[in-house]
Amino acid sequence: MIRKTRVLFATRFAEMAEYRAEVIIWMLSGTISLVMMLVWMAQAAAAPGGQIGGYDGSEFATYFLSVWLVGQLLVVWVGWELDFMIRQGTLSPRLLCPMDPMWAEYAAHVAERFVRIGPMLVLLAIFAWLSGASFTREWWAYPVALGLCILGFTCRFLYEYSLGLLAFWTESSTAFSEVAWLLYAALGGLFAPLAFYPQWVQNIAVWTPFPYMLGLPAQLLAGKATLGQAGFGALILFGWVVLFWFVRLAVWRLGLKKYGAVGA
Amino acid sequence: MTRYLRLIRIFTGATISAQLEYRANFIGAVLSSLGQVGVALLAIGVLFGQGIDTVGGWTFREALLVTGFFILTEGFIAVFVQPNMSRIAEAIRTGNMDFTLLKPLDAQFSVSTRYLNVLRVPDLLIGLGLIVYAASALTITPGGVLIAAVLYASALTIVYCIWLALSTTAFWFVKTQNVAELFNGIFGAGRFPVTAFPLPVRFALTFIVPIALITTVPAQAMTGRLSPALAVTSPLLAAGLFAVTRWFWLRAVASYTSASS
Repeated sequence: MIRKTRVLFATRFAEMAEYRAEVIIWMLSGTISLVMMLVWMAQAAAAPGGQIGGYDGSEFATYFLSVWLVGQLLVVWVGWELDFMIRQGTLSPRLLCPMDPMWAEYAAHVAERFVRIGPMLVLLAIFAWLSGASFTREWWAYPVALGLCILGFTCRFLYEYSLGLLAFWTESSTAFSEVAWLLYAALGGLFAPLAFYPQWVQNIAVWTPFPYMLGLPAQLLAGKATLGQAGFGALILFGWVVLFWFVRLAVWRLGLKKYGAVGA
Repeated sequence: MTRYLRLIRIFTGATISAQLEYRANFIGAVLSSLGQVGVALLAIGVLFGQGIDTVGGWTFREALLVTGFFILTEGFIAVFVQPNMSRIAEAIRTGNMDFTLLKPLDAQFSVSTRYLNVLRVPDLLIGLGLIVYAASALTITPGGVLIAAVLYASALTIVYCIWLALSTTAFWFVKTQNVAELFNGIFGAGRFPVTAFPLPVRFALTFIVPIALITTVPAQAMTGRLSPALAVTSPLLAAGLFAVTRWFWLRAVASYTSASS
C-alpha cells in the first residue's frame, strides 16, 4: 500500500515537473483576487480615513494575497480531465488497472502542488513587497491554515470529480464545472471578505463549504480569524468531504453502468 | 467578397448543426452564463455596497456599463474567437493545417471564421441587456452611442488581433492554449473602469495591454466624457495591430513546413 502510493506519487510528480512552465502560466492566469486587491486598495486609499469596512489598504492586500495563495493550493482540474477521458474513451484502459482511477488523479493534483510551491512563494514575496501586505505573526495560524487547505482541496476535488463524471450522461460536463467554480468564487470570498457581502448571501454561504475552504484559511493567514473559528470550519468541511465521498462513489457506480456508449 | 460572405453562412450552418447534437450541455451553458453575470454583478455590487458612491469617478450605473461591455466581450471571445483560435495549434500539430493552406481561400479567413460556439450566445444577449439597462438611467446622446459603436468595433478588432497573434506563435511553439489562458487572466481586469485601479496599473492596462480600450473607452464614449485623444487612439491601434498581425500570420504560414518534417 505504501509502496503503491510512493510509486504513484513519484510518477505523477515526474509528469507534472514536465509542465513546470505551464504551471507558472496557470498561476499567473488566476488573477481575479489580484485584480480585486488592486481595486479595493485604490478604494481604501480614496476613502475618508483610508479604511473601508475596517480594512485599510495593507489589510486588503494581506487578505487578497492570502486568498490568492489559498486559491493556488485549491486548484482542481479533474472535471476537465474526466470530461476528456470519457468523451475520448481514454478512460477504458484506466479501468483495467487494479485501482480506482480517482487515486491517480488525486496523486497528480497533489504532485502538482509540489511543483507549484516554489515559484508560488517567490511570486507571493514579490506581490507582498509591492503591495505592503503583512501576514500574521502567530505561528499556529500557518499549520492550521494548511490543514484547512488540505480539507478544502479534498472537498473540492471530490465535488469536481462528481461533476466531471456527469460526462457519462451528457457527453460534456465542463459547463457544470464552470458553474461550480462560480459558486466557489462568489461564496468563497474571492471578490471581498465575506463580511462585506449582503446579509442574505452570508446566510446562504455559511451552509456551503466554500467560505471555509477559501476565505477562512485566508483570514487565518491575515490574522483575522480565531482558532475556534478554524475548528468550526474544519468540522463543517469534514462533513462535506464525507458527503461528497459518498456522492462521488454513487455517481461513479451508476456512471460505469452507463459507460460504453462512447469510444468503447 | 460575396463568396466570403456565402462561406461564412455555410460555416455557421455546419457548426451550429454539429453543436445541437449536445443538447444537455446547453442547459449547463445557460446556467454558466447566468452564473457569470451573477458573479460580475456581485463583484461590483459588493464594492458599491460599502457606502461608496463612486469607484474611480464612476457611479454604479456607469460602472455597470463597463461590466456590460466586459460580459459582451467575453461572449464575443467565447462565441467567435476562441473556438477558432484554439484549433490553430491543434491543426499545426496534427498536420491538418496543410488542408487549410491548400484551399483556394485566404487561410487567415478560414482559420478565423470556421467555428462558432453557439452555447455561449446567451453571454452576448446578457452583455447587451446589461448595457441597455445601465444606459437607461444615464443621459446618452445618439452621437455618443455612434462613437461608442465605432470604438467598440475597434476594441473587438484589437481582441481578435491579440488572440490571432498569440495563436500564430503555434507555428513555432506548437502549444499555445496557455497563452490564451494568460490573456483571459489579464482581461479579467476589464470588468472595472480602468480608473478604479492604482495609477501604475492603470498605465499598464492602457498602454502595455490595452484592456482599457476594450471596455472602459466605449463606456466613456457613451457617457460622453471621452477625451478626443483616446477616441483616436483606439481605431488607430486597431488598424495598426491588424496590419501587424496580418504580416505576422503571412510570415508564419511562409515558414510552415507541415507536421513531421
